[in-house]
Amino acid sequence: MSFWEIFKLLCEGFSQSCLLFLLTLVFAIPLGLVISFGSMSKFKPLSWFCRTVVWIIRGTPLMLQLFVVFYVPGMLFEIQLFGGVNGRFEAALLAFVINYACYFSEIYRGGIESIPKGQYEAAQVLGMTQRETFFHVILMQVVKRIMAPMSNEIITLVKDTSLARAIGVAEIFFVTEMKLLSKGLIWPLFFIAVFFLVFVGVLTLLLGYFEKKLSYYRI
Amino acid sequence: MKKILSVVLAVVLAFGMVAAFSSCTQKSDWEKIQEKGYFYCGITLYAPMNYYENDELVGFDTEFAQAVAEYLGVEAKFVTIKWPQKYLELDSGAIDAIWNGFTYGDEEGISRTEYVDFTHAYLENRQVIVTKADKLSTYNTKEAFAGLKAAAEGGSSGEAVAKELAGANTLVTPFDAQSSALMEVKSGMAEFAVIDYQMANAMVGKGDYADLSINPAYAPESEVYAIGCRKGSDFTAKLNEAIEALSENGTLAAIAEKYKLTNDLIANIGSDK
Repeated sequence: MSFWEIFKLLCEGFSQSCLLFLLTLVFAIPLGLVISFGSMSKFKPLSWFCRTVVWIIRGTPLMLQLFVVFYVPGMLFEIQLFGGVNGRFEAALLAFVINYACYFSEIYRGGIESIPKGQYEAAQVLGMTQRETFFHVILMQVVKRIMAPMSNEIITLVKDTSLARAIGVAEIFFVTEMKLLSKGLIWPLFFIAVFFLVFVGVLTLLLGYFEKKLSYYRI
Repeated sequence: MKKILSVVLAVVLAFGMVAAFSSCTQKSDWEKIQEKGYFYCGITLYAPMNYYENDELVGFDTEFAQAVAEYLGVEAKFVTIKWPQKYLELDSGAIDAIWNGFTYGDEEGISRTEYVDFTHAYLENRQVIVTKADKLSTYNTKEAFAGLKAAAEGGSSGEAVAKELAGANTLVTPFDAQSSALMEVKSGMAEFAVIDYQMANAMVGKGDYADLSINPAYAPESEVYAIGCRKGSDFTAKLNEAIEALSENGTLAAIAEKYKLTNDLIANIGSDK
């Protein structure tokens, strides 16, 4: 196999990794906010439920969650949730979204609880509703405060996408293992590092840019 | 208001789950396949069974499955799986058949018939030992392999042979795919590998593996390939019907000739078992 053929193959695999990464972010960022509201809720059963879910998801390996999402529905209930052509990818996406939403929710919770109580009181004095207080006063400050820990999780997610090979998603490592390693080609394994380094490098610059943009009103 | 909303949401969620789990109607495998219009074969990539040639999946098992699918009026789709996870893939319905030079026999002392229903056997095979070509004279008896490092695919019939040869206290390195075992030998991480004869014949001694050779010092008993289906599935009978017909009309023989497997092809399938 020529260099270009291998490069093409790796690009195909990496596009799957990137797609998984992007879609996970798109779904997990809002879902994380919902879960964080749940775990901060004053309605106890809901907050216990959310905290238990977060405990289970954060307390078990992502690899295991992938297996459970993809294989268990078919084995125990004989229903094919992911029977389609892209079933493996969908299953991996679901597992990643749930997993990352739980981590994000705890970052949000930390951010939201770090806003001084005085601001809620001031907003109340000004006659703002709870909704207005949250979306106009609190949320933007939270976004600023959680940029650094979120960047951390997002970069971890880039590399975690390779776990999806456990259920046979054709991402970059799976492609390499099945099509190149099996031919005795080892160097593509190291070449993968270039893909990840470049991608994470661009991401770091982008996240740094946002962080800078958001660093107004610093005291 | 908020409390009521959360209670309502929780109830809706609970009902949704019950509905999802109870909506599973009991359809047979073959009915499901007919409805979908295709069946999935779980494969690993290796010559001469399933491999890529100019971006196209070819190989004996590939063409065999396509011929069977055509006979049955559906489509055959292939998906690369991790071999040690094959029963999980099959039981969960992610694949419909293990169709990749699947040996009819034991796995770690347990008969594979415990896990799957086999179709008729269609091809002869045996496990062979692969060593570096310059070590052929050193490892020339069965005993010479004792205590060496071995590589074999995890959960393959080769693993059992490797364990038998290398001894209980020697590390048999299990791998996800048979071809990784060859790489172990090539890189010197293992002294010998135990893999399928069909694969060894197609890959060893040429290209990247030019310095490897099949070692004739020990030849385990011959075995046969068959297709593995879910236990109790009616797909097995459908496959058998197709295999018998294709064996009789010569389609199977033509595919075997194309991949130089004529000598190993089982003749008149269906009349023996």
